[in-house]
Amino acid sequence: MKKDKVLFVIPAYNEEENIGKVLKEIKKDAPFADILVINDCSKDYTEKIVEIEKVPCISEVFNLKYAMAVQTGIKYASQNDYDYVIQFDADGQHIAKEAIRLLDTMKKENCDIVIGSRYLEDTGYPCPFFRRMGTRFFSYIIWITCKQKIADPLSGFQCLNKKVIHRYSKMGNYPEFPDANLVIEMLLLGYEIKEIPVKMKLREVGVSMHGGIIKPIKYMINMFYAIVFIMIQNPRKRRK
Amino acid sequence: MKNIYFILISLMAIIYVVYEVRKKRFSVKESFWWVIASIIMLILSIFPYSIDRVANFLNIDYSPSLLFVICIIFLLFINFKNSKMISEHQEKIVELAQHIALLEAEVKGMKGKK
Repeated sequence: MKKDKVLFVIPAYNEEENIGKVLKEIKKDAPFADILVINDCSKDYTEKIVEIEKVPCISEVFNLKYAMAVQTGIKYASQNDYDYVIQFDADGQHIAKEAIRLLDTMKKENCDIVIGSRYLEDTGYPCPFFRRMGTRFFSYIIWITCKQKIADPLSGFQCLNKKVIHRYSKMGNYPEFPDANLVIEMLLLGYEIKEIPVKMKLREVGVSMHGGIIKPIKYMINMFYAIVFIMIQNPRKRRK
Repeated sequence: MKNIYFILISLMAIIYVVYEVRKKRFSVKESFWWVIASIIMLILSIFPYSIDRVANFLNIDYSPSLLFVICIIFLLFINFKNSKMISEHQEKIVELAQHIALLEAEVKGMKGKK
């Protein structure tokens, strides 16, 4: 049997403090997998550190933001014929051992996307009130529209199979924030999404991309608007 | 029902915007303000006297002028956003062109070595 090719896609923007540790951890815990770092035009030494670790690195020409960096990685995976992609964060929140669990679930249950969730079980992950409210709100919307419970649609810790890789790489309108809207679109198109509880570490150093007061509000409005359009674009396929 | 024509026009505006987005000729992100504008248009055509009330509240004697002010502000806002985007895109295109030129030079160098 042919061995499955697995790729860790790690978008990184100004993560010089964290990226080295993250790469070492993946190499130790998941030696079978390939790693690809997408340097989203960082202003610090992220690229140098990745080179020292001898990990392939794609540098964007200008800052494309998180989602487009992820899509670049997915396009690379599609071109190089990878079977599975694991989206992994460079800030050290995600744990490589949990990524292997995602992969195992995917192979066992034969689904298309596996999401690593913080809230499915009480894993002791502390979380700001506002973010928690947002997550609840969107998982409720997913429940209404698709009749499926996804506790953490905002999680960036996902495992994708070949079908999904192919679809994402061909998407011209890959959303700026690929969270609840993408989950709903994939569910409406009939893809199987599973969710398993994972542990996550707290962010050690650096700044999160969802900061401030105005940004989350803007994010909520944009997301809601995008979901409305996805509902219009994709006719309902309700499952029993 | 004099305002039925205006209701029809604003409904057509909404349908047109949504249709273009559905056909993927117009991005969801860019359509946001146009959908908002056409919804406001619809509300104003269903309740034409609401503009008088808002004008009263703002102490404007001639209420249609409020309508013009809103329209002009909206158009200026959209225009400014577009200008901003054009300059951003210009910058990015230059950067891409330079990057491609550099890559081409590199590829030519590699071919020469062979």
